Amino acid sequence: MRRQKLNQVLTYILLTIWSVIVLFPLWTLIINSFKPQKEIFKDPFGFPKDFTFDGYIAAWKTGRFDLYFTNSLIVTVLSLTFILLVGSMAAYALAKWKSPVANFLYVFFIAGLMIPIRLGTIDLVRLIKALNLQDTIWSLIPVYVAMGIPIATFVLTAFIKELPGEMFDAAKVDGASEWQIYSRIVLPLMRPALATVAIFNMIKIWNDFWFPLVFIRSEESRTVALGVSLLFGQYRTDWTRALAVLSLAAVPLLILYVLLAREFIKGLTAGAVKG
Amino acid sequence: MKNKLFVMLSVLILASLLLSACGTPATEAPAVATEAPAAATEAPAATEAPTAEEITLTLGSWRVDDVAAWEVITAAFHEEYPNITVKFDPTNPPDYNATLRTQLETGTGPDLYFVRSFATGRELFDAGYVASLKDLPGITDTFSDGSRAPWSTEDGESYAVPIIAVSHGIYYNKDIFAANGIEIPTTWEELMTASQTLLDAGIIPFANGTKDAWDINEVVMMQFIPSNIGGYEGRMAYLNGERCFNSEEMVASFQQIADMQPFLPTGFEATSYYDSAQLFAQGQAAMMLDGSWSIGPFEKDATDFEWGVFYPPALEGKDQYVTFHVDAAIGANAASPNLEAAMTFLEWLESPTFAELLGNNLPGFFPLTKDVPTLSDPIAADFMAFNDAAKGVDIRFVWEKLLAAPSGNVDAYTSLNNNVIAVLKGEKTPQEAADAFNSDLAAWYEPAAGCAP
Amino acid sequence: MSQTMSSAKRREGLFSNENRRKITWVLFLLPALLIYLTFMAVPLFDSLRLSLYQGEGYTPTTFVGFQNYIDLFTNQLWRGKFFGAVRHTFIFFAIHMVVQNSLGLLFANLLSSDFKGRNFFRTIIFTPATLSVLVTGFLWTLILNPNWGAVNKILVAMDLRQWALPWLGRENLALPIISLVSSWQWVGMPTVMFLAGLMGISDELLEAARIDGASEWDIFWRIKFPLLKPIIGIVSILTFVDNFNAFDVIYAMAGARGEPSYSTDLLATLFYRTGIAGEHPVGIPNMGMGAAIATVTFLILMAGVLFWLYLSRRQLAEEA
Repeated sequence: MRRQKLNQVLTYILLTIWSVIVLFPLWTLIINSFKPQKEIFKDPFGFPKDFTFDGYIAAWKTGRFDLYFTNSLIVTVLSLTFILLVGSMAAYALAKWKSPVANFLYVFFIAGLMIPIRLGTIDLVRLIKALNLQDTIWSLIPVYVAMGIPIATFVLTAFIKELPGEMFDAAKVDGASEWQIYSRIVLPLMRPALATVAIFNMIKIWNDFWFPLVFIRSEESRTVALGVSLLFGQYRTDWTRALAVLSLAAVPLLILYVLLAREFIKGLTAGAVKG
Repeated sequence: MKNKLFVMLSVLILASLLLSACGTPATEAPAVATEAPAAATEAPAATEAPTAEEITLTLGSWRVDDVAAWEVITAAFHEEYPNITVKFDPTNPPDYNATLRTQLETGTGPDLYFVRSFATGRELFDAGYVASLKDLPGITDTFSDGSRAPWSTEDGESYAVPIIAVSHGIYYNKDIFAANGIEIPTTWEELMTASQTLLDAGIIPFANGTKDAWDINEVVMMQFIPSNIGGYEGRMAYLNGERCFNSEEMVASFQQIADMQPFLPTGFEATSYYDSAQLFAQGQAAMMLDGSWSIGPFEKDATDFEWGVFYPPALEGKDQYVTFHVDAAIGANAASPNLEAAMTFLEWLESPTFAELLGNNLPGFFPLTKDVPTLSDPIAADFMAFNDAAKGVDIRFVWEKLLAAPSGNVDAYTSLNNNVIAVLKGEKTPQEAADAFNSDLAAWYEPAAGCAP
Repeated sequence: MSQTMSSAKRREGLFSNENRRKITWVLFLLPALLIYLTFMAVPLFDSLRLSLYQGEGYTPTTFVGFQNYIDLFTNQLWRGKFFGAVRHTFIFFAIHMVVQNSLGLLFANLLSSDFKGRNFFRTIIFTPATLSVLVTGFLWTLILNPNWGAVNKILVAMDLRQWALPWLGRENLALPIISLVSSWQWVGMPTVMFLAGLMGISDELLEAARIDGASEWDIFWRIKFPLLKPIIGIVSILTFVDNFNAFDVIYAMAGARGEPSYSTDLLATLFYRTGIAGEHPVGIPNMGMGAAIATVTFLILMAGVLFWLYLSRRQLAEEA
């Protein structure tokens, strides 16, 4: 018992130290978004003397960030949904289909993680143009789904392979089809892995500004990351404004994370499958 | 058996899918096909355009900072030409070239766009993406040959209307100078003595650093070079191969960099351009070598003290030359369906109205027209006065002909930048730095071939 | 094993169960495969082909065979840049493995036991990952700034002035420091994945070990760690692949040239500078060479991943 107490104290100490290392920069971020430009560099770590909302107001004046946020949310949520759906289906087949085709496709999917995506930009812009999607937020979704598939198949396949085989055999004996096994057994059990994949991808999608940059021209279709890029000048940046927007840009991600993390924990406690 | 057959079949299907995908024809043919009809349908629209139809032109730029000023400028244009609206649509500067290039290659580019000087813009023209301005009325009268040269071919065919030049100088804190009894230095030696006085008084003499690399090259080193080499004529001597790039004039320029080193902030290696500006604006550093584009930001940030600008003085006995650099021009997208309207806008850029609007809405960015309007901003006017007071004016040393090195060689900009930093870090003497600069260039710049060590 | 036996029994003609099952699998794979092929694999692999060409712009047209590769490995300048970038990328990866993934394992282990405030700490650890790299870059550059940064102010206050270095301006310091900042940001990712693995380990097993008097240290190394091996493999591969494409953090903290003096230049920044942006200030891209760099990077990664697959298969075979 005493040893357990000691362990717990140690846990708190370690986690508190790390929390300080995390929170200090975050504190710097938030207080500086309320300081006028000059004060940021004169006293970067102190509490704002000249408390101002200018950054937040100015940011909204320079761009329609409410619109950008909506766009980013639509793109991120739809892309994630598709990634999880098609990714988990593919992963189920890759994990359970014992065939050289599956082995080849597994490696083929992972290969997508290994080439810098910017390399294919020109072909992608041509493709998007041929599909008549340029300058819309819909142009981003297929590209992001394609970008998310490698990581989804990689993580989910590994997860399904770890699931005990008896479970599948039992279901098959009961006459369940592959589709039924996938939707009724595998998907619910996969919750933690799906949440992990969603977390990985949402960050990439939310923060990407390269594809919005080359696909999108009009104000109506801008994403947050693209709007943010326009706050950085050639020689100078209005940091009050940039920090204000950038702090806000992290909020939806944090909320998504908390939501996903809840799913994740639910999945873990519901089915302690490994041993 | 069947099992094997199935496997082989699926592998074959996949392989053929992949092959057809990887081979050029399959992917590129449809793209071309889709582009062609688009162009065909757009063509008639272009011919109808002049009949007072509402046209919106997009103007691509890397000047994210200037949205407000360009709104004023394009509004003035719209007033004169009510059927044409120009929409200023900038891209974040580091990605400007890449984004523009992608859009031009895929036929999604803006109608008008900022064209960089010399090699960069020329390459776009040679590739057929910038329309020729051979027939644009007034272009040869409004601009000197020198101003047009960065955006024209050897035969003098222009492809972009020059709009912006930038100047360089030393911003100084008048209060600190007065408190330490320092007058504006007239020679380099006096500047160094003044810097020593400041350092002894516990003040950082120069705010400049090297973390971002480009600033020490563009706003420091390239300000020193013209006075040492004798301006335009001197530069031509290097470009023609009459002088080698490690000549004593070049060594002297590197020596000035070495002279400055003790007067930079502690930790200058990690001091970014932005940090430098803050050091100056907060009154912690007495001077900063910088470009005229900083007038606006300093007028906003450096409000607690009086400040002004002076030109970096030449070495004792040398004539004073000024770096007045051609920065931007605007060209028309050759594939634009609204080329005619775009030309109307370009012609308007030659007008005194535009020069006046630009010079006064963007202090520190100077119009390139022969007739320069009076500038209301006092610091901007001071910068212009440098040009009159100097023996001569020239562009930055490496821009013409020395930027685009063949693959596998170091271009002059990069070589100069690396060597300046090496001198500041004490890794090379000025002589060694100049020798390295020379051998980098002799390796590929033909007129300098005889200079190879 | 049972699967193949049961299916062997039911072989009968072209529309046998066997073939129907294959069609089912293909249908499961098809949506992902189609999207992936159209929007990723084809554009990417098609662009790797550009490494055999030279010329202006993003679609060079002069076929030059393997000249770009020959230049990359024999031209002194290219070779220097390329192997510099390879070395830096391995250092970057090594620091992430040691710092980010070990911390992730430690945090996951701490968070896997039940205590008050667990959710709070879990969220805190993850929060930096939600920030844009622009913010991370800005904040840590500010904290490490030689003129007004907190680190140097604290060092000076502690009378350690000689330690108040220009952190991001020194060639031997910048890369490790940026790697640490990047680890700080992304440590939440391995934490999440390890946590999933640890929470899957049955409590009875751990309780039994505790009753037998095993220390937490022993439990971790003797029970948890072996069971986590597959996840450690996955995390390592993801770190490997991610780091070899790492671009943002270098770009935000050291610029496209990997300042100071290319000492933080990674394969992805070299690729970007060569193939996409071009060198400042000309900015004319050399896509042929960029594609060659991307291809070689791809081959390095592929070799690494195939090696890992081989190891994990062998491990599975041994266990079975």
